[in-house]
Amino acid sequence: MTRRTWVRLDNASNIFLAARTESDTKVFRLSAEMDAEVDPGMLQEALDAVFARYPLYRAVLRRGVFWYYLQDSDLRPVVEPERRPTCAAIYQDGRRTLLFRVIHHRRRISLEVFHALSDGTGAMWFLSDLLVEYARRRYPAGATDESGRPGEQGDPSASLAADDAASPDTPDAAAEGAAPPSHALETDSFAHYFRRRRPTAFQEAFAEAAAPAALTLAEKAVRAEASADGDTAGASRTPSDADPDRPSRRARIHRVRGTRTPDGRTRAVELTMPASQLLAASKASGASPTMYLTALFMDAVRESSGGLGGARTMSASVPVNLRQFFPSTSARNFFATIRVEHAFSPDGAEAPEEVARALEAEFRPQASAAALAPKVARFIRVERSPLLRIVPRPLKDLILGWLNAASNRKLSLAVSNLGRLRLPEPAASHVRRVLFQVSAARPQFCAISHGDQMTVTFTSPFTQTGHVRAFARSLSARGIDVSVTAARVTEAELEEVAP
Amino acid sequence: MRRCTECAVRIEGNWSRCPLCGSHLVGHPSPDPLPSVPLRFSRRRLLRILTVISLVLVALSFVVQLWLGHRPSEFGAVRSVWLGVCTMWLVALMALRGRRDLARSTLTLLVLAALVCTYWDYLTGWHRWSLTFAVPIMCGCAIIALVILEHVMRLEVGEHALYSALTVLLGIVPILFLLLGWVTTPVPSAICVVLALLSLALLQLERAADVRDELAKKLHV
Repeated sequence: MTRRTWVRLDNASNIFLAARTESDTKVFRLSAEMDAEVDPGMLQEALDAVFARYPLYRAVLRRGVFWYYLQDSDLRPVVEPERRPTCAAIYQDGRRTLLFRVIHHRRRISLEVFHALSDGTGAMWFLSDLLVEYARRRYPAGATDESGRPGEQGDPSASLAADDAASPDTPDAAAEGAAPPSHALETDSFAHYFRRRRPTAFQEAFAEAAAPAALTLAEKAVRAEASADGDTAGASRTPSDADPDRPSRRARIHRVRGTRTPDGRTRAVELTMPASQLLAASKASGASPTMYLTALFMDAVRESSGGLGGARTMSASVPVNLRQFFPSTSARNFFATIRVEHAFSPDGAEAPEEVARALEAEFRPQASAAALAPKVARFIRVERSPLLRIVPRPLKDLILGWLNAASNRKLSLAVSNLGRLRLPEPAASHVRRVLFQVSAARPQFCAISHGDQMTVTFTSPFTQTGHVRAFARSLSARGIDVSVTAARVTEAELEEVAP
Repeated sequence: MRRCTECAVRIEGNWSRCPLCGSHLVGHPSPDPLPSVPLRFSRRRLLRILTVISLVLVALSFVVQLWLGHRPSEFGAVRSVWLGVCTMWLVALMALRGRRDLARSTLTLLVLAALVCTYWDYLTGWHRWSLTFAVPIMCGCAIIALVILEHVMRLEVGEHALYSALTVLLGIVPILFLLLGWVTTPVPSAICVVLALLSLALLQLERAADVRDELAKKLHV
């Protein structure tokens, strides 16, 4: 007799179920481009080996009366050649299938994950382990040097990644010394830090996270820098004690519109550039890489839209990895999002560097344990409120769907930066670049770097690539060497290569 | 690798024009790192719309029947055929929807069919054939069907146990029909109740923990 292990979905995951649509599947993809064609047999062996270490990835999604839950299964994943468009749907109502897939095409190995299962950081651990296992089989000579765990990655906000000079990046050392985590099904870090025995667990964690001098010093430094710069635009518009979730009421948020792709697939365009060049440019601007790229993105959208028209405020949502503030080895979702916005002046005279500094001044104070903890705790409180608990699940989905649609209306773009992926050998020397992308309800980019290769992948539900063109041109105008990879999505593009 | 001189970027893959600006490229093409996936159109949305429409039509049909009167004299052959078609359609839809979860689907069909029969009985003058024969016989058959399913197919114990338990509990309901004197002959109800009680005893012996576990998952607040 088998009695299945099960666990309720964490706080962040419920929204993915309510918000997914046919074109925005809430699936994200992490890929690695190897230095030679992928061997499917070895990839399958590697997958089997890694799969055994990640009980979470065995989970299937099931529906209860009040909540969804993840339940253990006996299913086995099978690697498959890439036949679907990027980030194709994984979960279908009521079907009990694994919530991730591993696919390959030519030199690429891709891991696609339904966001309700895991977040970018969790998936990055899985991919790292998969690449190590694969490389060990594919290149047996290099198999002696094994560390078992990937080195510390950056985090969803590169402003807080290792490459950043002003980074309050403390978990680097902590994670490297730690024992290999189990990635078990039970671990829900939201619950651990913010729910049960909340005051004590939270206070402990908070004290722990806030204690390192580096963190507080870095924050002070950035604040001081922002005010010394005379950067009044960002500082005055968003005082750090204001509610960061609530956009200013008066500003009309610019929303990007376009022609949807013919079969609702995600349009993905990848830009690859040397990480060192991009970092140098962002450092020169005085902003973190994430905010620098966001500013370029906003500027590109402004340019490609022909000057924004009446709605001159652009907003972006930026996920932040909570593991850097509240140490956790959970491979499940553990992030919060921060919203930044910028009002462009009608004459359009601002340089992206200026915008980047303003965004940085707005983002930085919000990206701290002190600012994030109450926000996350509030979400948990709402979720655990007695009234909401007893609302049946379909109704919850409906309500969450509306709330999501309402917050979507206040967003122009989304950006996500996983930072630097440091792979252990033998994988590191055989991986040329890594890529990260996510299904999109609005123009979005996802950045990740490995070695000196940084990739910024734009995804959008629209066929237009005007903003990517403007973005790529502004990079190359700044002396950054860019190469472009695009998947074909329109009938005309696909006809070109039709047999 | 090809190059777009307008955008000043390199273009990977065998594009003849720049995917960003559409201008001609210079240089030699490189192998495409991404596959070209042909367009595929999903019929799922269409099917969903058709399902919803037919469910609405069926529901409306049942309501209209009530409005058309419910005396035996008012219920002719046309209405019988109409109701029969609606019921068949409903049963077919439900059976198709639930084909992946047989235990659950059996329970859904049982509840639906019992309700439709009772309503039909009411429309045709309340001769109590539904409570006397239809409902107990269907309950009994559902219980037997689940026992067979369990032995013939490899079903996941936990979920199966929950729906079996609910079906068995429904099987005990005809005891009410007997006690309240709603039946014209007690035999079918009596057989159904005995069958249900036997299954319940068996379930209690073998699967009580599974049922509790499954309920805890489903009803977790």
